[in-house]
Amino acid sequence: MDIKSLKQEISKLKSESSGLVDSSNDQDSLDKTYKSYLGKSGEVNLLLKSLGSLPQDKRKEAGMLLNQLKSDIHNAYRNKTSILSQAENELRLGNQKIDVSLPSVSTEDGSVHPVTKTINEISDFFESIGFGIESGPETETDYYNFEALNVPEDHPAKDMHDTFYLKDFGLLRTHTSPVQIRTMENKKPPHRIICPGKVFRKDSDLTHTPMFHQIEGLVVEEGASFSQLKGLLNDFLEDFFGREVELRFRPSYFPFTEPSAEADIKWDKSWLEVLGCGMVHPNVLKMVEVDTKKYSGFAFGLGVERMAMLKYDIPDLRLFFENDYRFLKQF
Amino acid sequence: MQFSRNWLKDFIDLNISTEEICSQLTMAGVEVDGYESFNSKITGKDSIIKLDITPNRGDCFCVYGIARELAVINNLKLKRLAYKPIRSSFEEDIRIKVCKEAPIYVGRSIKNINLKTKTLPLVSERLALSDQKLIDPVVDITNYILLELGQPLHAFDRDKLEGNINVRKAKEGENLVLLDDQEINLSSNCLVISDEKKSIAFAGIMGGKNTCVSPNTKSIFLESAFFKPSVIRGRARRFGFQTDASIRFERGVDYKIQALAIEKASEILCETVGGEFGTIQDSKLTKELPKEKKISLDLDRANKILGTNIASLKAKKYLKGLGMNPKGSSRKLDLTSPSWRYDIEIEEDLIEELARMEGYDSLPTISLEPKLKIQSESKEKIISTSLVSQGFSEVINYSFISEDDEMVFGESKKMVEVENPISLNMRFMRSSLFPGLINTFIHNLNNGLESQKLFEIGSVFSHKKSKKPSERTRVSGLIYGDVGPNHWLDKPRKVNFYDAKGVIEKIIYNFNVAINFEPKSSDFLHPGISSTVYVGSKEIGHLGALSPNILGKIGLKEDVFLFSLDIDALKIKQLQKFTKFSKFPSVQRDLSFVVGKDITGHELSILIKDKGGKDLINLDLFDVYEGKGIEDNKKSIAISLTWQSSKETLLDSDIDKVVEKIVNSVKKELDGYLRN
Repeated sequence: MDIKSLKQEISKLKSESSGLVDSSNDQDSLDKTYKSYLGKSGEVNLLLKSLGSLPQDKRKEAGMLLNQLKSDIHNAYRNKTSILSQAENELRLGNQKIDVSLPSVSTEDGSVHPVTKTINEISDFFESIGFGIESGPETETDYYNFEALNVPEDHPAKDMHDTFYLKDFGLLRTHTSPVQIRTMENKKPPHRIICPGKVFRKDSDLTHTPMFHQIEGLVVEEGASFSQLKGLLNDFLEDFFGREVELRFRPSYFPFTEPSAEADIKWDKSWLEVLGCGMVHPNVLKMVEVDTKKYSGFAFGLGVERMAMLKYDIPDLRLFFENDYRFLKQF
Repeated sequence: MQFSRNWLKDFIDLNISTEEICSQLTMAGVEVDGYESFNSKITGKDSIIKLDITPNRGDCFCVYGIARELAVINNLKLKRLAYKPIRSSFEEDIRIKVCKEAPIYVGRSIKNINLKTKTLPLVSERLALSDQKLIDPVVDITNYILLELGQPLHAFDRDKLEGNINVRKAKEGENLVLLDDQEINLSSNCLVISDEKKSIAFAGIMGGKNTCVSPNTKSIFLESAFFKPSVIRGRARRFGFQTDASIRFERGVDYKIQALAIEKASEILCETVGGEFGTIQDSKLTKELPKEKKISLDLDRANKILGTNIASLKAKKYLKGLGMNPKGSSRKLDLTSPSWRYDIEIEEDLIEELARMEGYDSLPTISLEPKLKIQSESKEKIISTSLVSQGFSEVINYSFISEDDEMVFGESKKMVEVENPISLNMRFMRSSLFPGLINTFIHNLNNGLESQKLFEIGSVFSHKKSKKPSERTRVSGLIYGDVGPNHWLDKPRKVNFYDAKGVIEKIIYNFNVAINFEPKSSDFLHPGISSTVYVGSKEIGHLGALSPNILGKIGLKEDVFLFSLDIDALKIKQLQKFTKFSKFPSVQRDLSFVVGKDITGHELSILIKDKGGKDLINLDLFDVYEGKGIEDNKKSIAISLTWQSSKETLLDSDIDKVVEKIVNSVKKELDGYLRN
């Protein structure tokens, strides 16, 4: 081959390929065209292989011309690709339309029981200021439920708790205070703990269920004072209800605290009892061998269902144990 | 206790509203249930105040005690308890023997009374306002004194007494018919009043029928005694009752007012039923009387505990007002507990008194300084979060269940029984969470919930000989109805065993245990569609379809799936550190084996894992098929295997060798072959 016929061939391929690229209406035929010129055994490659038959001095020129051809075809291909894809996108954008109002596809979460939810909310506050969470058995001995808490046998204070007794041994705890005793027996002070759990009292009417949940808290530290107890409970209640609350403390009686107090919050213009508290009675601290010269303590207890009823406006205590899904799924 | 507000006027001149009285009492620790107005024809405008007195404040169980409390609060003078003594006209011949549990017994006879008379209008009005039934003038007056002074009195029909009076321990099994006709068998730790022939009263609790005042009574013998709280406590309760007398004696009655009570009663009796009054018999064992307690108060310590700064002068004023005779230096006070305050024993009791007088509300409020504590999430919370994200709703059922439920689902051989259950349906402590879940499920099914996923986390109980029952924390769940995609793009399907299994695996993923499922069933599960979960050789859970027998009983046809895991057996995963992953390509092969129907997927997988070599990183059983193309007693199991080395690129020829090894082993050990 000589340079002249090569030039003719190049110009032929150029116009031929350009026509084919232009007339390609989809990516597949465009790719096919591209391959037939620039593929391994495409026409341009074949020409390249024939370069060897040219005289030495013409080879450089021929090589340049062929490279120009390659890049022309390539550019034409790229331009056409872009035009085609744009056209395709426009087609998709124009034709595809969904009804966004149709229901979504997702798995539905379940729910935690409002009692658990409330316990978690309360625990979160106390954990954030350094309280640990302790738990203990629901069946107890008289010692842990009463004696160690300064409630002697036959004491009228026992009337405050209608206790369930077990046939063979022990009783069902009437409060979670035994956990405080067990914790103080096992660990040295200082203590900051809360004890959530089920408690049992032989009582069943509109406002009482034989089982309910309590959270009790205990602080035993150097310098623990009644003022701190008031401050803590005030902070806790404001955190729990998410707003300022009006709180009132008044004297009360629990065998395991002295001084003892009851805290009321202002609710719809009247006072509502929400928790019992007090400074831990020295007899209780002595029972668990806490040095009362060095440490003082305070404790408090509240009913979880009652707190949940107030916060979530739940009208009836019994809803908690009916487990009706129409109730549960709201939490 | 409830009482007429105007009664207080006998003891203090208080010019504040009833509302204010109630508020003062509440803030002083004498809880007020409420009050209602009353217009008296005798005393004018009045109110009934209702109190709920805590067990420590026996001293407030009478009008005089309430007046005393209000006097201190308002800084008023409490009037002296005045009475007009009634002269005696004969010498009492009944002698009284007291004992150490009853160190004071004051008695007086009144002969030839007229029981036909009416109780005085003011007395009967006040009794009525205190919700006290009117009986006859004598009993009414004893009740009146009880309400006024807190001292229980008892009147015997003097003509039915035989000889002298003896206060003594009951004989074991001693029989006594009480005023209200109940017959009781006393034990030797109870106290009785007896004459020389018989016991005539359950001391401090209730009089006997044999000597009670009746319409025909001509003469009475009046008792005003002091019984120690320890000999009264719990005694009446043992027989299932309480009386106005026992409530007061067990909390502690002022041991200095017995004679006064007799005198006051005599005055009113004389005015009402008349009669001839005997000399007052006053028997006392002085050394057995409660001791006035000497307590010292370190004012600095008190202020530290209360967070206050109460000055010495103020503290003294408070404590003096409360009848405690404060003495001593400015920072350290010595006090004496008053005869009516049984709750004042130690320094902390005095601190409470200071706080009460200061007003709890006016004590400072200081936030507790936060501390850092490193917490880890509880196992219960981890499980709950996992289940909620899988669509389960948490329920909380009573820990009590019925005998029937415990019989069906109970796992412990001997049940934990409640001695005094609230109802027969709540007689046992649950040893399984399933009965509660099933009851909840049925409740919700009846309310139209066709698909359910429920779980509960709670304690289960099992009996231990002469010990507290043992308790384990468990999570159990129930799945019923449709699962899987539940929307317009796809169709749901019915729940099956593998859903329950997946739930367990997903929970376990959070914990550091390796479990395996063995085809061992439980009585209440379908034997062919259930499994026991093991950690090593230890059972930690169950899952499966509820037995058709039970399904039938509750009127259901569709399968209910249950699962449970022992939470105590699970260990929280340690911190997961980064592990290097391989940069070499992996090789995947899908193999489909035909094996006998009784060969489990687990058996096949174990064998393949064993023969697959160290670079086998994943085994995924993706299909099980029985039917056309497979022999009748066989099935095909398809497994996808992935190999990857951390050191080199694996060659197809290496994998071919491993596959051949696997195929040979399956043939040899499970009599299976590769399906074409």
